[in-house]
Amino acid sequence: MQFNDLINGFPVLTVTGLTQGAIYALIALGYTLVYGVLRLINFAHSDVFMIGTFGAIWTWSAFGFDANSPRPSVGEALGLIALAIVVAALLCGFFAMLVEVTAYRPLRARNAPPLAFLITAIGASFVLSEGMGAFTNRRQFGVPAMLPTEPVVSLGGWSLTPLQISTLAVAVIAMVALDWFVQRTRFGRGIRAVAQDSNTAALMGVNKNRVILLVFLIGGLMAGVAAVMSDMKAASTRFNVGFLIGLKAFAAAVLGGIGNLRGAALGGILLGLVENYGSAVFGTNFRDFIGFLVLILLLMFRPTGLLGESLGRARA
Amino acid sequence: MDGERASALRQIFVRAIGGVALAALVMGGAAACKQDEGGSGSDTAGAKVCDLKIGFFGALSGADAGLVTPGQQAAKMAINQYNAEHADCKVSLQEYDSQGKPELAGGLATSAVNDAKVVGMVGPAFSGESETANPTFQQAGLPVISQSATRPSLSEQGWKIFHRGVGNDFSQGPAAAAYIKGLNPAKVFVVDDQSAYGAGLADEVKKALGPLVTASDKATDNQQDFSAIVTKVTGSGATALFYGGYTEEASPFLKQLRAGGYKGTFVGGDGIYDANMLSVTGNADVEGAVATCPCAPATEAKGTFVADFQKEYNAAPGVYADVAYDLTKIFLEAIGEGKSTRADIQAFLTSYSKAGAATGVTYKWTDKGELDPAQVRVWAYVAKNGQWAPDKEIPKA
Amino acid sequence: MLLEIDNITLLYGRIQALHGISVNVAQGEIVALIGANGAGKTTTMRAVSGLRAVSSGRVRFDGVDITRMRADLRVIQGICQSPEGRGVFPGMSVKDNLEMGAYTRRDTANIAKDMEHVLELFPRLRERFKQAGGTLSGGEQQMLAVGRALMSRPKLLLLDEPSMGLAPMLIQQIFEIITEINERDGTTILLVEQNAQQALSRAHRAYVLETGKIVKEGSGRDLLDDPAVKDAYLGVA
Repeated sequence: MQFNDLINGFPVLTVTGLTQGAIYALIALGYTLVYGVLRLINFAHSDVFMIGTFGAIWTWSAFGFDANSPRPSVGEALGLIALAIVVAALLCGFFAMLVEVTAYRPLRARNAPPLAFLITAIGASFVLSEGMGAFTNRRQFGVPAMLPTEPVVSLGGWSLTPLQISTLAVAVIAMVALDWFVQRTRFGRGIRAVAQDSNTAALMGVNKNRVILLVFLIGGLMAGVAAVMSDMKAASTRFNVGFLIGLKAFAAAVLGGIGNLRGAALGGILLGLVENYGSAVFGTNFRDFIGFLVLILLLMFRPTGLLGESLGRARA
Repeated sequence: MDGERASALRQIFVRAIGGVALAALVMGGAAACKQDEGGSGSDTAGAKVCDLKIGFFGALSGADAGLVTPGQQAAKMAINQYNAEHADCKVSLQEYDSQGKPELAGGLATSAVNDAKVVGMVGPAFSGESETANPTFQQAGLPVISQSATRPSLSEQGWKIFHRGVGNDFSQGPAAAAYIKGLNPAKVFVVDDQSAYGAGLADEVKKALGPLVTASDKATDNQQDFSAIVTKVTGSGATALFYGGYTEEASPFLKQLRAGGYKGTFVGGDGIYDANMLSVTGNADVEGAVATCPCAPATEAKGTFVADFQKEYNAAPGVYADVAYDLTKIFLEAIGEGKSTRADIQAFLTSYSKAGAATGVTYKWTDKGELDPAQVRVWAYVAKNGQWAPDKEIPKA
Repeated sequence: MLLEIDNITLLYGRIQALHGISVNVAQGEIVALIGANGAGKTTTMRAVSGLRAVSSGRVRFDGVDITRMRADLRVIQGICQSPEGRGVFPGMSVKDNLEMGAYTRRDTANIAKDMEHVLELFPRLRERFKQAGGTLSGGEQQMLAVGRALMSRPKLLLLDEPSMGLAPMLIQQIFEIITEINERDGTTILLVEQNAQQALSRAHRAYVLETGKIVKEGSGRDLLDDPAVKDAYLGVA
């Protein structure tokens, strides 16, 4: 055990943990939204995220940027990042809806048992990742350099790089916008209504399938945003990058209380921090061990997660 | 080289859900192959047997294909050259694309041994897949020579059919350490990916460097986020870092190290010595990174190999191309001398001792199948302007 | 006729819940369905609102055949149901619950007006406006369910057991409001009730159901005086 690494590196570990946690949180939102409405774990969500990581790389390469390109100016980089976010979000949104329409909706129409949903979920996950694997020849793709790596804010041992600032900012904006959408708009009310009582929601005129499609779309959009930020942080992507990060994000959703949006955000951040601190003290080979151990311990004492279950109930 | 590429977690998934289905598929495949055998297998002695096949086993697609396809190209070239001289009695190359995955290797090995025309095998390229495939080859008596599987334990399994065309990790580790010592670092940080290859190599480096190694950490398969390790490395004050592992993790790790402010030298084994390490990491960050390899630069190969390869593929020969070329030619030499059964070729290899046309290395094997230690050479390569430039042959300690 | 239920049958798996039910509701009427537990009252309601598909027969509403129409589209046609057991969204505030009632409407100004109207009908809801639906008392939830149904400005309001689980004083109050909605706003109401006394005294017409069949129909007053109905549903009068 190396507590020195934790003490000396605490500020950096905290900031990088928060950044990774913000990415987990954005992905976790997709799991939690779908679970909240359908009581279904959408395993394919991790691979929707993976498609987003490619969407960003393709966008940048369309403008002639690859791993070997020199770093663009900050203004240019911000424009390219914004564009990549739009493309990746739309791409992920599209594939998320495609999964719903092809893998889940037909089963709902036939009142399939829950196990059938579990298998099609896993199946859709494999179809997406293996499909991308075949399409990209299973190659690993480098991410072009975008933002400068030198810290722009420094105070004592604490510092923030442009990437960390923009990741945290984008995550906060996306989550605040989503919270507003779900809490304050008519469609948001529709989502909460279906999540809480889908039969009564239908009696109020809510088209359940349309709400479900909307939920997949939103989850996809969030995954697309996460994909761009993750691309820049991890610096490379492959057809199988979704698996582990998706599992972590799913864990984050459960940690915060599955079906609970704010819980997903909290769970993601917490997992990012715990992983980093745990890696510093016990070694990085214990990273996932620590992360999931914390998950198990927490669920032992709070089986419904930190903020409890159910979409939109956190306010009450 | 090692081949535990697939995520351990995904493996668990596959096993839990599709284990039975996979087993059924593999068995079905094996049965189908048996039917293919026909009656053309073992001919009577004396008569010249044609249309024999030499197998090539390794990751021809996937993330690690960059380490294997140059060898496959070279093997194909060797066979084309042979066939040009023996138009009446040709030999063909049978490819087995394992994607570097041990879980695919078993099924491929079965279909290889069931094809009686296959009398020798170049590969398997990685150590992990060798461990799954070689028992099958041993059972069928199919001789194999690997151009790049460097896990030391492979020669300790009692596989008579196993031969290694290069030095093992034990020969690469001390050499990498000698190279790092030459950099005169104050402190060295060692990281490995916990694979048998990466950890084995890192342990050798640690042993040879002794107290120079002040800190170490371990990465995991498919890791994307290296924040914690990067923090430790930059906090350690190390000016050299050795990474035991593969490009898939090494590339993002190196990029994140540079983004985190690490300015020291990055040294890895042959697991990072491939074109992907350069193109995925990008010139700016990979510049100056060092890879050791128990292989001489294929571009400095002897004879007409480099020119021939350039002419054939319009590209410089990549990693292990020269070795694979020489190994393929050893099999071709045996076939040319009329050896047409697996047993004959196995016997041919046991007593073999000749210099390869491309590598110049004298191929001579110990009774365990290791390349004669006096013949092992380790080179250091430095990433320069988007190329792995041969730096120097690391002198033996 | 605003609503014509024509000889419908309905199966729950292998169990036949309705054996050819025919019910008519004219514009401006309050029509009650009474009967014992399991007689098929709620099932008939669900066939009208679309939560359950009928096996045979027809349902016509306002001249349109809605037999196979999805539940949420029937709301747009003008049918709104306050479901049995109230179906208040527990995690949503009273305000959000009421706005859910107006989910299919886009006329924002009128929605605000109707919200005010509902809050006048049920002053308790105004007091609990920001509170989550799940924290209200049973009576308050019933008021919320009725108020929410009114928010859709239905042509036909379906009320399933509006008095269930309420104290006698509240029952009286709920039925007064039902009468008021009918008389003041002209809303047509189809009512399912176990409290036959209240239902029959408020309804213009009523049907008596037994094991998925209609056994009697007539004006509310006539049925109140019918000895068989008295005996079976009104207790010892």
